[in-house]
Amino acid sequence: MARVKVSEAEKVYILHGIRDDLRVDGRSCEDYRHMEVETDVVSNTDGSARVSLGHTAVLVGIKAEIGKPRPLVPDEGYLEFFVDCSANATPEFEGRGGEELGIELSNTLYRVFNNRSSVDLKSLCISAGEHCWVLYVDVLLLQCDGNLYDAISVAIKAALFNTKIPRVHMSSDEEGGKEVELSDDPFDCVRLNVESVPCIVTLCKVGHRHVVDATLQEKACSVASLIIAVTHRGTVTCAKKMGGGSLDPESIFEMTEVRQTTRNDLGFLCVYDVSLVQAGKRVGKALHAPLMKLLQQEESLGKKRQKVGFLG
Amino acid sequence: MLKSKTFVRKTRAGGVLKVVREHYLRDDIWCGSEACSECKQESTVLQEDAIIESSLCPYPHYLVPDTNVVLHQIDVLEDPVIRNVIILQTVLQEVRHRSAPVYKRLKDMIQAKEKYFYTFTNEHHRETYIEREQGESANDRNDRAIRVAVKWYSQHLKTESNTDGLKVVLLTNDQGNKEKAEENGLVVYKFDEYVKNLTANPELVDRLALSNDEKAEITSSKVLFPEHLPLSKIQSGIKSGTFLQGTFRASRDNYLEATVFVQGEGEDTTEVLIQGLQNLNRAVHQDVVAVQLLPRSEWVSPSAVVLQDDGAAKDDDVDDEEEKALRISAAEAARKPTGKVVGVIKRNWRPFCGMLNLSQIKESTRHLFTPADRRIPRIRIETRQASTLAGQRIMVAIDGWPKNSRYPNGHFVRSLGSAGEKGTEEEVLLLEHDVPHQAFSQNVLSFLPKMPWGITPEDMVKRRDLRHLTVCSVDPPGCTDIDDALHCRELENGNLEVGVHIADVSHFIRPGNALDKEAANRGTTVYLCGKRIDMVPELLSSNLCSLRSNVERLAFSCIWEMNHKAEILKTHFTKSVINSKASLTYAEAQMRIDDTSKKDDITESLRGLNKLAKILKRKRIEKGALTLSSLEVRFHIDSETHDPIDLQTKELMETNSMVEEFMLLANVSVAQKIYDEFPDCALLRKHPAPPPSNYDILLKAAKSKNVEIHIDSAKALADSLDVAKVDGFSYFNTLLRILATRCMMQAVYFCSGMDSDFHHYGLASPIYTHFTSPIRRYADIIVHRLLAVSIGADITYPDLMDKHKQSALCNNLNYRHKMSQYAQRASVAFHTQLFFKNRGILNEEGFVLFVRKNAIIVLIPKFGLEGTVFFDSKDKAAPSLVFDEQGPTLKVEQTTFNIFDKVKVTISLDDSNIQHQKIRMALTEPVIPGVSVAAPDAEPQAKKTKLK
Repeated sequence: MARVKVSEAEKVYILHGIRDDLRVDGRSCEDYRHMEVETDVVSNTDGSARVSLGHTAVLVGIKAEIGKPRPLVPDEGYLEFFVDCSANATPEFEGRGGEELGIELSNTLYRVFNNRSSVDLKSLCISAGEHCWVLYVDVLLLQCDGNLYDAISVAIKAALFNTKIPRVHMSSDEEGGKEVELSDDPFDCVRLNVESVPCIVTLCKVGHRHVVDATLQEKACSVASLIIAVTHRGTVTCAKKMGGGSLDPESIFEMTEVRQTTRNDLGFLCVYDVSLVQAGKRVGKALHAPLMKLLQQEESLGKKRQKVGFLG
Repeated sequence: MLKSKTFVRKTRAGGVLKVVREHYLRDDIWCGSEACSECKQESTVLQEDAIIESSLCPYPHYLVPDTNVVLHQIDVLEDPVIRNVIILQTVLQEVRHRSAPVYKRLKDMIQAKEKYFYTFTNEHHRETYIEREQGESANDRNDRAIRVAVKWYSQHLKTESNTDGLKVVLLTNDQGNKEKAEENGLVVYKFDEYVKNLTANPELVDRLALSNDEKAEITSSKVLFPEHLPLSKIQSGIKSGTFLQGTFRASRDNYLEATVFVQGEGEDTTEVLIQGLQNLNRAVHQDVVAVQLLPRSEWVSPSAVVLQDDGAAKDDDVDDEEEKALRISAAEAARKPTGKVVGVIKRNWRPFCGMLNLSQIKESTRHLFTPADRRIPRIRIETRQASTLAGQRIMVAIDGWPKNSRYPNGHFVRSLGSAGEKGTEEEVLLLEHDVPHQAFSQNVLSFLPKMPWGITPEDMVKRRDLRHLTVCSVDPPGCTDIDDALHCRELENGNLEVGVHIADVSHFIRPGNALDKEAANRGTTVYLCGKRIDMVPELLSSNLCSLRSNVERLAFSCIWEMNHKAEILKTHFTKSVINSKASLTYAEAQMRIDDTSKKDDITESLRGLNKLAKILKRKRIEKGALTLSSLEVRFHIDSETHDPIDLQTKELMETNSMVEEFMLLANVSVAQKIYDEFPDCALLRKHPAPPPSNYDILLKAAKSKNVEIHIDSAKALADSLDVAKVDGFSYFNTLLRILATRCMMQAVYFCSGMDSDFHHYGLASPIYTHFTSPIRRYADIIVHRLLAVSIGADITYPDLMDKHKQSALCNNLNYRHKMSQYAQRASVAFHTQLFFKNRGILNEEGFVLFVRKNAIIVLIPKFGLEGTVFFDSKDKAAPSLVFDEQGPTLKVEQTTFNIFDKVKVTISLDDSNIQHQKIRMALTEPVIPGVSVAAPDAEPQAKKTKLK
């Protein structure tokens, strides 16, 4: 991933600032940078969204295609992820430079989103065992300025919200042969319920505190970070530790307190820093409501909306 | 301004694809009206004083028809009265999508200047483009687009200062659309409402196609036919094999019977028999239908009964009885797969020629129409001019066949003229043989070279200048489309140079343009008696391409160097410029050759050619080429009345065969050349060897005169025909050759990449094509293009090298060729009838050509006429007939008829059925009591008195 070089003095400055809940750009530790979301930006996809977070910009397009359900879950559709680290984002991605990051990102996204508690996979099924919708989620990194996971997850949620899958029904003849039939009304389409689609919150441990939405400089000061996927109810669906440093579990008391509310999901998290998890949940939960409101507002504007697009 | 159009579509693999197209809106699309000063248009189409006399719209107005009006009422729109019409792009696109023939007719109308039809591209106009809304069907959107465009027009024209009440009138037959348009304040009428109020032209009403509510009135509520299945069900049924798809062919003799030809894997087709009105289920001849096989126990065999649907008087009970009769006649053995029609996949309705049966009720406006083609059912039409139309040949189009109607409903299209008149009958036979014979459209004519035309230096770049050569053409008298010319001269080395020069039509007809497409569709020029239906416009056929004498013409030359034994030493193809020195007829050329006193260049050249041709012919016959014979007659046509006044069989002269010989040689040389160059896509002509069973009749006939015919090879056949002679019967050999001709297969065009058998049986040539008549055959144009590419004189184009496209083209050419021959024969038959009509009853000598179960077929050599003498007739008891298939012989009472027997017959015209006039023959010699008739005297009544 894109890196910056930070001198020791700078590191101390950043570290001390965070200790006092005041970051270089004036934010407090749990504040995000300015975020922009726009949906329906690529006309030849079934759903798309563009998100910029500070100077990080990502574009997500979703194409729905008819495929065969996985044999173990015959009544569910599934999602496929591909992350393209464009050399536009940073020169490091040139050639095959972005490949490793891309694979890592898409694997994580697959883990976070392709499960039935995140997306209503059953609604993607057309006929059990034979036809289902496969959503191909293509993520394009346009610019890297830290905190890719959060930006991508917001963009995916927005794009899923925007996704319109053509309505089909199966016609069967006497012989039992089945065929997909398409409605001739382009407005006749299925929307996904994205309420429970999680957002990813990346928490960077800097010194003894943690920050969300770390800039590249802050990231350079951090030894380890925790990625957690949080739904609108505050349920943690996935967690992953990144970076080489260690995260030590803090006070047992705090942990038990947490356990009372969400004991199930924390069972596997006890190895992690509980305060981090709590902070992540708090931040993540707070992220959903305004995002949904924004998306609905945008949707209600309909075709009159002036599109900005990713070039604007 | 850019918009994008989005739609989803199913892919062939079963997936779903979202397609996004860019759609540009413009503000420089003009209205096309003369009355408009706002639009910056260079020229206008619509007139300012657009007046069609109408009691509904007394003011000047433009018409805007919607899609259904164009699709169904095209016959009315084509009338010259209907002018100043705005065709919206929405309508044009929908029409194109739904019916190719109507689209073509609409395009032709738009091209025609005097119709003042204007296409308004409303879909790209910034103010008239609309997007489909949620919950709106595609049709509703298009209707709205039409309304928006009409609204725009009426406002656009209103703001003009100079308008005097110019209005735009929307024509629709859709009630909902009409109401919505009225809400928007538009002037809107139903189409029939509008047409009925045209004060000047009341006869247009007859051409209105019946709309749905009218149809309901006509027919009883009783449901006569099972419902047709929807297309989606048919398709899945065909996929699963429960239904079969095939072409419906009605029986000529029995209106309750038909066959469906189902195309199986590869070449083989299966036939499914359909019997009974219910099972036929409203399918009309040539429709593509889906059939379901009946269980084996219900299979029947085709009946031998002749049934003609003859009457308005008949009701359904009678049909039932006739159907029963049909069942009983079906023998237990020889049952065939039988099925029923469950749906129609594609209607192949065209306007049909025929005549009107007047309704018995005098005031009735509904009448039955009987098509000339017996395979087409009667059609119910509505007309107010029935009394004028009676006795005329008219055209009628089918509009639909509701399930509660015994007959299809249709409307009158136009009258062709009185039945029996020459012009009318000619038109009928052209229409019935599907010969495209309309005048060339403006669009086609626009691709003709501009006159005065001359040869430019650019033309000369890839051409050889052969103007100095003594070239001449030899053709039948009166020929104006001369496509070949010849020359022959001695070279310094003692060899002969022979050139065949063919009109360079491909220079004028460039691939892909409207002229080329029209020619490709027509396929061939059709020669009728006294009339020629050109494949290319007259400017080309009779002038620029015709190799007339003493003018410079472009040619495609095939030049050989030959020795005096007519062996080819060198072959050379080149585009050239020639200047023919003489256009001769066969007789003139013959006279020059025979006149030993003539020593000029032309004559010397002809003599050289003639000498070589004789050698060539001998060689060809040695190889086994067949010389067959068919009687061709030529009518002497009265120059004023255009009636035939005399009739003679065509004579063949040495010069005929001279020209033919070199044409064959050129064709073979070219065929070899293009096949070498393009093994995959050369257009060739083949003539398959007939299966031995075809020769049965010939062998039997010859045997009856103790003559042996060998059919092992073309060579054997040719040799045995040459030696077949019977003493005292000089005409025998010709008769035998006529019979042999009937045994042959049809020669066809094909694409070399799609076939492996190239052999031409009749000419005994391993490869053959048509190169020498590009003015009258389209195949030759393709061959010219191929040859031009192979010698680097022209460029190629994708369709030329596409063997599938070429194969499709060959199919069309073969079809047109066949139809043109039928039309030609029908024309000869009609003229023969005219000839005998004026002659009364004639007594002539003839030969028995075939023997049938109840008749003999007699050939009259003098007229080249063939006719049937029936021995049984409906109104009197049949004489005893004994038919022996081995002979074949027919014994009538005491007299036995063999093939080749000499008989005498009377010939007269039977015009009892005005639609199907025919030549009737009756036997006078040998005399058989009760069968033969007396030879007529001058009095025609003599026919009636029978010998006792």
